[in-house]
Amino acid sequence: MCGIVGYAGGRDAQPILIDCLRRLEYRGYDSSGIAVVGDGLHVHKSKGEISALEETMPTMHGHVGIAHTRWATQGKPTTENAHPFADCSSKLAVVHNGIISNFMDLKDALVAEGHVFSSETDTEVFAHLVESELKGDLMEAVRAALKRIEGTYAFAVVSADGAEVVAARDESPLVIGIGDGENFLASDVTALLKYTDRMVYMMDGEVVRLTKDSVTILDREGKKVERQPQKISWNLEDAEKGGYPHFMLKEIFEQPNAIHESLLGRVETLDPEPFFQTGAFTSVKIVACGTSYHAGLAGKYIIEELAKVPTTVQISSEYRYSSVSRENPLIVLVTQSGETLDTIAAAREARKRGHKTVAIANVMGSAITREVDHVIYTRAGPEIGVAATKTFTTQIVAMYLLAMDLATQSRVMGAQARRSMVGQLRNLPRAVQDVLNKADVVEALAKKYSGVKDMYFIGRNINYPMALEGALKTKEISYIHGEGFPAGELKHGPLALISKESPVVAIAIKDHTYEKMLGNISEVTARGSPVIAIGYEGDTELGKYADEVLTVREVPPIFSPVPVIVTLQLWSYYLARERGCPVDKPRNIAKTVTVE
Amino acid sequence: MKAVILAAGEGMRLRPLTASEPKVMIPVANRPILEHVVDALVKNDVRDIVMVVGYHKERIMSHFEDGRKFGARIEYVVQEKQLGNAHALATAKERVSGEFLVLPGDNIVDRRAVSDLIQSGACPGALVVESENPSKYGVVTIEQGTIRNVVEKPVDMVSNIILTGLYCLNEGIFKSIDKCVALGEYGLSNAVQTSLEQEPVKPIFSDGLWIDAVYPWDLLELNAAAMESMPVRTGGKVEQQVVLSGPVSIGEETVLRAGTTIYGPVVIGAGCEIGPNVTILPSTSIGNSVTIEPYTTVKNSMLMSNCSIGAHSYVSHCVFGYGVKSQSHLMAGGAEAYVNIGDEFFKVPHIGSIVGEDTNFGTGVVVEPGTVVGAGCKVSSGAKVTRNLPNKTLVT
Repeated sequence: MCGIVGYAGGRDAQPILIDCLRRLEYRGYDSSGIAVVGDGLHVHKSKGEISALEETMPTMHGHVGIAHTRWATQGKPTTENAHPFADCSSKLAVVHNGIISNFMDLKDALVAEGHVFSSETDTEVFAHLVESELKGDLMEAVRAALKRIEGTYAFAVVSADGAEVVAARDESPLVIGIGDGENFLASDVTALLKYTDRMVYMMDGEVVRLTKDSVTILDREGKKVERQPQKISWNLEDAEKGGYPHFMLKEIFEQPNAIHESLLGRVETLDPEPFFQTGAFTSVKIVACGTSYHAGLAGKYIIEELAKVPTTVQISSEYRYSSVSRENPLIVLVTQSGETLDTIAAAREARKRGHKTVAIANVMGSAITREVDHVIYTRAGPEIGVAATKTFTTQIVAMYLLAMDLATQSRVMGAQARRSMVGQLRNLPRAVQDVLNKADVVEALAKKYSGVKDMYFIGRNINYPMALEGALKTKEISYIHGEGFPAGELKHGPLALISKESPVVAIAIKDHTYEKMLGNISEVTARGSPVIAIGYEGDTELGKYADEVLTVREVPPIFSPVPVIVTLQLWSYYLARERGCPVDKPRNIAKTVTVE
Repeated sequence: MKAVILAAGEGMRLRPLTASEPKVMIPVANRPILEHVVDALVKNDVRDIVMVVGYHKERIMSHFEDGRKFGARIEYVVQEKQLGNAHALATAKERVSGEFLVLPGDNIVDRRAVSDLIQSGACPGALVVESENPSKYGVVTIEQGTIRNVVEKPVDMVSNIILTGLYCLNEGIFKSIDKCVALGEYGLSNAVQTSLEQEPVKPIFSDGLWIDAVYPWDLLELNAAAMESMPVRTGGKVEQQVVLSGPVSIGEETVLRAGTTIYGPVVIGAGCEIGPNVTILPSTSIGNSVTIEPYTTVKNSMLMSNCSIGAHSYVSHCVFGYGVKSQSHLMAGGAEAYVNIGDEFFKVPHIGSIVGEDTNFGTGVVVEPGTVVGAGCKVSSGAKVTRNLPNKTLVT
């Protein structure tokens, strides 16, 4: 998914294009670019978020232009691969959203004709195609070029010679905004609502020419299309959130699908393809920061249980400065954005030490992917809420996949065990959906406890990291002081903090630590502190110990962190909402930490 | 023109398939029923849509979001208590003005039916069809080109022309709704009947597609109809000696193993693993991440996402909800049967079983035709299911 904007009018195009582009950032944010027509054609591109483009670009004068923000699905998010693309003579600039499926054939033909390419992308082909078809009229050239391509697209093209934007769509969204003495173009109405509320929707196969005061639409056959603008009457924020009050809640609800995506093509039962040949290693070390560190802690339990390899977990900024040991571990680096500076530095350090490195990342082609030997993508899609939700659960899914891979290659796990694991993994989206179906129960309970100042989270074994993550979520978005402990550590100190005013959330699923957890819950209730327990459905025992019980569907204990954390995400979300906190943008926290 | 889609109800008669999602989200040809409705509107360039949601509204909202993926702009209003469709429409009162379309979200309509409604230019107007079984619906009598009277679910034969639930209405309807609600009547056909006193309502006939899914077996008919017009896309990995005949749509990363034979129309979602030597016959839809093991035959059925069917099974004329799992040798055949829904019995010409989400079958289970198995049941190996099972039943 990418975002396109275009402008033709009387004002300076540059600030308007950037402002509109910002509102499309949800469509992707790994590189961006702008082209403005003034005295000649000016193009500027940058890797990274749109703010990076803003910081690096010179002032461009001109009243016509296009811009693009990219979410790479193929090809790295580098400055070279950012849009717009120019033709050989640098007279044309093209932005594109979609895929040209026959681009290899076209490219070969164009190269034979003498065209010179500067990138590996399919989009550049279109720039050269238009160039070769251009005989004066840009719109006709675009129409001729479109006849030669196969695929899905939304294109916008500007030329150094004209004060016009020509655009086309087929199966990728594009909308025209009608202003006074100016006209706009965008992938989505939300980008334009600040400037106009009159929109014309383009249909598949149509081409449009925008100038300062005209909009000409032609259909596939070249017939002129008359279409009245529609007035849009909705609020910008709502549109982007799809009816949910916050991005975080929307993203929590996207998790069954995100897990499905991250499993896609990776869970064949009969002839699995490994992510990579692991080679020889005697241990695994997982390196990460923040929420990713918690996914790493869960990964330790998963890898140790499935692959029987000793695994340690370290914070990135600590690993960097740790001393070299005699071990030769496989280093697993976990980062959602792939841009977390401490983790990138840790990857470099690991390679310097001669270790094999694997990154678990969400953003295609991000910085970390160039620093490691292998990458496992989590495929959670863009996440806007600062609090990580779907990117965390898919990191845990990646841990199952990696552990299964390690276990299969080292022959710790046989084909039959793998088949049964895969069956369980395929069930995970259902277990998460079940939690979401019961969100109202969590909501009601969160309301009851939203007034507290402190909250403690306890768990054992694989759910100890979930206690930490639950506490992190709670503190970062609801500003309640939250702390997580391994339940067995309670009596070694934290019990001193516990009082009637500080509820304890206890994860007590039926695994080999269950009896111990019941004991810990009793320790807490004995001190008068209310206990909210998370257990398996059908557990009749738990209610006798805890004040409140939230249930998740019974899954094998190794998979329990997934439904448990979704419950805790809902818990922290509803706490924050009840307290009126800015859920999606908590104070002092940035989504991606690119500083040391 | 704006359109209001009424999508707040549960669809109780489709239980247990509505255990975690409303009727409108049940997938037909692998797309929710509601998506077919939105699609029919968008194809007619009706893009401003108000959706009245209620029961499991998140399911709808997370699927459609603001509608941009579907070429529409969707606003939501919440009907907190599902009292009736007139009450549902009234919750959208503030979001519409002038003339607007009203559509039920749980009927399959095609582009043609919507276009007939719009092109007629009659407002207020009601889309009507002839029905072989009018007594289930609101029946109208027509005089001099306008609707004279509406009779809800008549016992005696009044006429064979029924209301489809698709209307073109204006703000006047809200007054009629208020009047009806005051009398404790929450149905939209009541409100239309009341409005006849103020303003005539034109009947609009259409040759377009309109199918209502009231009972689970209707879903199979809907499924087959929707698959007739589906675009065929073939992704995934097809091993050698796989036979694909007729329209067969296969999602990405799906694996079809050797010797598997599929006669379309059949639609298969993403990430499935099917075969070796599985036979799939028309008109079958299979969701995402479904596993079907060797020597199994599936015929005219709906298997929703995350189902898994063991080897040597036979599944015919069945609807399996999300995540239904079966070990080998499941026998779920179809035949003429009496089906018990609520406190009524229906004679259905050809029906298999209806199974709610996340139900598990052991090895060698036999499910008799016409049985409705609830959600989350566990049926042990060798058991024979001969009557309906409530949700979460354990059969040993």
